[in-house]
Amino acid sequence: MDLMSSSSGKAVVMSNIVKVYPDGTVALRGVNFELSKGEIHGLLGENGAGKTTLMKILSGLLKPTKGEIFVKGSKVVLKSASHALSLGIGMVHQHLSLVPVFTGYENIVLGIKGVKPSRKDVEELMRKVGLEAPLDVAVEDLPLGVRQRIEILKMLVRNVDVLILDEPTTNLTPIETRELFKSLRVLKEYGKTIVFITHKLREAMEVTDRITVLRRGKVVGTVKTSETNPVELAKMMVGREVVFSIEKTPKEPQGDALKVEDLWVMSDLGTQAVKGVSFNVRFGEIFGIAGVEGNGQTELVEAIAGLRNVVRGRIYLDNVDITYKHTKDRYSLGLAYIPEDRVKTALAMDMSVVENSILSLQWNSAFVSKLLSIKWSEARKHADRIVKKFDILVKSLDSPVKSLSGGNQQKLVVGRELSKEPKVVVAAQPTRGLDVGATEYIRKLLIQLRDAGKAVLLVSSDLDEVLTLSDRVAVMYEGKIMGVVDPSRVSEEVIGMMMGGYTLDQVRGLGGV
Amino acid sequence: MSAYLSRLASKASMENLSYLFNIVIAMLVGFLLGALLIAWGGYDPILAYASLVDTSLNVSDPYYIAMTLSFTTPVMLTALTFAVGVRAGLFNIGAEGQVYMGALGAIMVASLKLPPTLYLPLAILVGSLLGGLWGLIAGLFKALRNVNEVVSTIMLNWIAFWIVEYARVYVYFNPLRAEKTISMPPPGRLPIIVPGSELSLSYVISLATVVIVYFIIWNTRLGYNIRVTGISYHAAKYSGANPTLTTLYAFVLGGLVSGLAGVLEICGRPPEYAITTGASNLAGLGFDGIAVSLIGLNHPLLIIPASIVIGMLSAGSRGMQIRAGVPLELVKGVQGLIIISLAVPGFTYMLKRIKLKRSLRGVEGA
Repeated sequence: MDLMSSSSGKAVVMSNIVKVYPDGTVALRGVNFELSKGEIHGLLGENGAGKTTLMKILSGLLKPTKGEIFVKGSKVVLKSASHALSLGIGMVHQHLSLVPVFTGYENIVLGIKGVKPSRKDVEELMRKVGLEAPLDVAVEDLPLGVRQRIEILKMLVRNVDVLILDEPTTNLTPIETRELFKSLRVLKEYGKTIVFITHKLREAMEVTDRITVLRRGKVVGTVKTSETNPVELAKMMVGREVVFSIEKTPKEPQGDALKVEDLWVMSDLGTQAVKGVSFNVRFGEIFGIAGVEGNGQTELVEAIAGLRNVVRGRIYLDNVDITYKHTKDRYSLGLAYIPEDRVKTALAMDMSVVENSILSLQWNSAFVSKLLSIKWSEARKHADRIVKKFDILVKSLDSPVKSLSGGNQQKLVVGRELSKEPKVVVAAQPTRGLDVGATEYIRKLLIQLRDAGKAVLLVSSDLDEVLTLSDRVAVMYEGKIMGVVDPSRVSEEVIGMMMGGYTLDQVRGLGGV
Repeated sequence: MSAYLSRLASKASMENLSYLFNIVIAMLVGFLLGALLIAWGGYDPILAYASLVDTSLNVSDPYYIAMTLSFTTPVMLTALTFAVGVRAGLFNIGAEGQVYMGALGAIMVASLKLPPTLYLPLAILVGSLLGGLWGLIAGLFKALRNVNEVVSTIMLNWIAFWIVEYARVYVYFNPLRAEKTISMPPPGRLPIIVPGSELSLSYVISLATVVIVYFIIWNTRLGYNIRVTGISYHAAKYSGANPTLTTLYAFVLGGLVSGLAGVLEICGRPPEYAITTGASNLAGLGFDGIAVSLIGLNHPLLIIPASIVIGMLSAGSRGMQIRAGVPLELVKGVQGLIIISLAVPGFTYMLKRIKLKRSLRGVEGA
């Protein structure tokens, strides 16, 4: 019998959902999504595909711009997260929302109105579904996997029927992941419906019954897990229309500008984020690092810039060992760095264009006199040169940079970094959040740098960007490099599969090439 | 220079004008509330305020203006401590204790047998360093153990208070006058500018210090790093600065300045030139500085005019007592109401900045 055809078997139907954010970003463009009762449904897609937005709408956290939602057959307008909870829909977020100093039990019953479930009730529930967690220990002292179980239990004591998990395995060890999957299957036996948001193909293949793939705010398709394979899923996930192409002349790169050897770096959570990464970037090439965000790229880049300690391994800049050098010394050795977060890191928002034009250049004798006072007149000329050369729209050089548009802010950052006459440019998500014009401008600059014989390390979760700009591409997954490929000679399925956790050799074995 | 001035003028935008307007409103509200308090106490508010103004801002007799300025001397410096903290992203309220330590340093030097010319420079050196040390301790707590500076500086304020009390009673007591310590010997005293008043050269030193700190914050690499750190820890780190060390420097700089305020209260204020019982001639200077800094939008140069408010209220309080008969307790109440009202606009301005910073620090959206 086909469960999907009987309307009574549907836990949730979302129809023609459109979501436009206040800043004009279109996150969802008419999404149809169905959940059958008692299934584990994978929601697969790249960053920005709209997975989390769609589920935030279903859990009442966001209001759709357009579209209808049916829960158990009747139409609903979700007013809030607690409204969705009362209808039996609960979401466990990627960033857990527990009170650190409260115990497991206190967190689980926090906010329940009326009669709170007793400790006994919670213990019984834990036994039933196989999610064990200590109830009397402050949550901050527990490992992440256990905290997540508490968060799931918190939903279960509220009797949710539909449990949404947003990238639940991101911070879990392989063993914790296996345990989580076991519990999910038990919950399924108890008739719970589970949405599993992920970008990891293997995990989607392993635990789900059906999979819906989203791309750029649209549903690419819904397939039965038993009737699909990773190659097909990868193709659905990354299949792309080329937005624009860039003229790139062939170039013979030479010499190692940046070399990374067996690098290990820790994340803020104390887990290993980069696990033995090695690669080299040569003068006159763009080396791209692709991959879904959160797979260690941020930590890798911060380690190269000296903002994060290296646990093991070596970093060389033009044959100088910079592994333990201070950030400012790396800059003076010829490193330029465009960080991924321009609002928090690359600029001081309350400061003026002039002041920001020398951020990270305040060590340079061109801007500082012997008495350590800043030569503001030099800084002003410098800012003026950048603004003119890169065509940055500013009201005045004294306006705070927070008054600039995102594109102009980024141009200021890029202009400042290029003004250093660097040997190596590390560009992390250089076009994120920019409009088409600014994006194209910055991409062309990166190509020009390559043509001028500089080495560019480009880290981006925008696959189009990495594939069109780079001469070589490495794909990162869970802190490791799955393989290095020539983007002009590789199919997008191969890249997609590597992004989903298969090494290049495994992909070849599965016939993905 | 003229380009610089025109830039300054262009900065006097709508925002600054509206701030000025808010300050005027706040002052009116403060004086109105104070008037209610005076009337409630059974005194004449109009006579009280007339005496207040007449004995503080009266230009016909230089004595009154001199007194007002003499009261602004220490609070300019303690305001500077708070302002530097705010620029570094701190809520440093340790000026109070640093003033005590600075004064203690001056008295320590006063107790020594020295060549006469050495008293003053040594007092300034020792007192400032003791204040700086007090800032350093709070800074180290913050840097090493991430102790909130509000908590640590309040505690350090009390520790300084009792150290000074102990020193007053057991170490540097004045054998002839039990209620105070020994005084700074005359060679170590700063000359009086307006005869008969309490305005000494300390006012000029105070002004010069404000200008120097302004220069440090706006025109040196250290100041630049302090301001970047105050806006964004991540941006500071990215720029190659060490935000932890920079924060420490901001604490020490603040401590040095308030330490100097303590020294100047000993070397530059007749008739005592000493620390009196319960540090009564020092108590509250650090906290008044917070209000002054807030009124001056935590900008070193705006602190100079903002300090006049405190100076006026302090100088005029005697007039209110003597001429209008308002008792001291009520005068203090009125002062408090006016200062709080005046600080409200600056405080909300600062909260807005903090909110912006928090939102920058917030969790990235999925």
